[in-house]
Amino acid sequence: MKGAIKLYHRVGLPFIILAIILFIVQPILPSEMMAAEILIMAFPTLAFILLFGYTGQLSFGTGSLFAVGAYTTGILLARYDAHVLLAILAGIIVTGIIAAVVGFFCIRQAGLIFALLTLAFNQLIWFIIWQWRSFTGGPDGIWGIQRSAINFGLFSVNIKPSFNFYLLVLIFFLLTFLFVQRLIESPFGKVLQGMRDSELRATAIGYKPITYKWTSFVITGMICGLGGTLFALHQEYVGEHVANWMTSGEVVIMALLGGTFVLYGAIIGSGAFIFLSDFLNQFTALAKAGGWLFVLGIIFILVVMFLKGGLYGGGGTLYTWLREKLASPPLEPSNPEEHTRTGS
Amino acid sequence: MFSFDALCAQVFNGIQFGVLVALLATGLSLIFGMLGIINFAHGSLYMLGAYFVWSFVQLFDFPGNFWFGIIIAFFLMALMGIIIERGLLRRMYGQPEVYSILITFGLLLVIQQGVGLSYGTIPLPLPIPSILKGEVNLGLFEYPLYYIFTMGLGLVVIFAVWFFIERSSLGAVIRACAEDPEIASTLGVKTRNVYTLTFALGAALAGLGGTLHGPMIGGLQHTIGGEILLICFIVVVVGGMGSIRGALLAGVLMGVIRGIAGLFWAPASEFVLFAAMGVVLLFRPQGLLGRKMGV
Repeated sequence: MKGAIKLYHRVGLPFIILAIILFIVQPILPSEMMAAEILIMAFPTLAFILLFGYTGQLSFGTGSLFAVGAYTTGILLARYDAHVLLAILAGIIVTGIIAAVVGFFCIRQAGLIFALLTLAFNQLIWFIIWQWRSFTGGPDGIWGIQRSAINFGLFSVNIKPSFNFYLLVLIFFLLTFLFVQRLIESPFGKVLQGMRDSELRATAIGYKPITYKWTSFVITGMICGLGGTLFALHQEYVGEHVANWMTSGEVVIMALLGGTFVLYGAIIGSGAFIFLSDFLNQFTALAKAGGWLFVLGIIFILVVMFLKGGLYGGGGTLYTWLREKLASPPLEPSNPEEHTRTGS
Repeated sequence: MFSFDALCAQVFNGIQFGVLVALLATGLSLIFGMLGIINFAHGSLYMLGAYFVWSFVQLFDFPGNFWFGIIIAFFLMALMGIIIERGLLRRMYGQPEVYSILITFGLLLVIQQGVGLSYGTIPLPLPIPSILKGEVNLGLFEYPLYYIFTMGLGLVVIFAVWFFIERSSLGAVIRACAEDPEIASTLGVKTRNVYTLTFALGAALAGLGGTLHGPMIGGLQHTIGGEILLICFIVVVVGGMGSIRGALLAGVLMGVIRGIAGLFWAPASEFVLFAAMGVVLLFRPQGLLGRKMGV
């Protein structure tokens, strides 16, 4: 199973399939902006999976970094009328800097305290956004973000229509996905996974865990930030609630739902989460007081208890089980030649 | 800028709030020391305790109903803790602790949103029991009697828990289990029951904290658990994981710092908590009274 996943990673066939599916899926979904939303939430989920599944760190701070990216882009676009690509780039860089500061404190602590610290910093960032009225708009948020045309000098691309914007998000997502895929296959990624399995051993070999953890924290922070910048463009508004730790919590749910052992869990998880919340919100009894989170909480607990690999892992298990069922040899003894062929 | 009286009042307020937080942090610390997990549902149990007393006071109108409510809430939350530990967390032992934490996070959602669904989102006022209404003259300023009462009760309970853990024979068993469950079980200790007991005690303390704090916060809302949870986390990190004295010290310290900072600039009151945590983590990563962890 694991070997097969590794091989698939190298071949990249699933990636191509994913790209094709994502390319055609946008008009099929119930609402116009849903596809873009799923992809945007897949950014912090991807970052979470990179941190949790590949370096073994449980982060409750993805939401605030997501918000930093969103606010940076939002402020640049709404107040300074910046170029869209420049605003996105600035969002990534600012988030990277903030992630470096937060990471400086967090990565020194192992396991559980790391989770607590990321949560505390998440709330600190939220608190600053909430209080700094003159800059972030405080409880009002940032209004007046225009998703206008991207000017390339010779020509310009209008990203106002939902499909055009979706394509922009899709390009960013696929690039990020490929980057992360390369990253975990690279020597750097291998060291990270080695440290996840045994930090002592990695240190003994001569790697400095702090440096590796810090770098990975900053990289994941920048991925969150990129998601946030696109979120600001998507909503054309950024509110303080984005930075609240419930966003981080939702990212955690998405990642566990999709599966944390594989990067595709990010897109599966955010898709499943947004579909589910959309579905649950159709019931008026659940829509009030955030009752859909109540149902999602139950689903989440069940997934954590019984489906560690998330939907991806569950699907994989089902697939192998089905194949074994279908390929199992008939009851009467067959000739040995055939038996070995099915067995291999 | 401000008077000496106001400063004293803030310090007093801070101690009072700190003791309440320490009550919660003690439970959190105990659970961490024993099960090695951070209980995200702790704030929800606190909220549940407060909501239970509210319902109890609404349903049964007799003198002293508040006190009965508190006592029943204490045991009910202990029962809730047993159910959570036996039903959910027990299945997760032997797997990475992160999954247990995630389960408590899921519980937080379920309990919080469940209460939001059944009680609505309108703040529900929980009145101060009539015996403890009124103020006491402390020389420099008048102070509400109920606040003094909760402070005293909180200190007594924390001391009782400390005494139970550190001085009683059952406490010795608990400490042995936290230290080395394998050897403890070789000596005939039923470690699984000790786990349950510890979680139940932690949950009951959270519920008690909620019931005592309930009348002080303008109205009960289903989100109050999340707000206090973060302060508790900070207190536990600053005080040192698994240390009761550390929880009390950090709780009072944080309460006082928060109160004084709020006097200078109101928004700073939350900010200083994070700043203090950052400083402690930089210079003493294991917390003020925590031991360095081997893991």
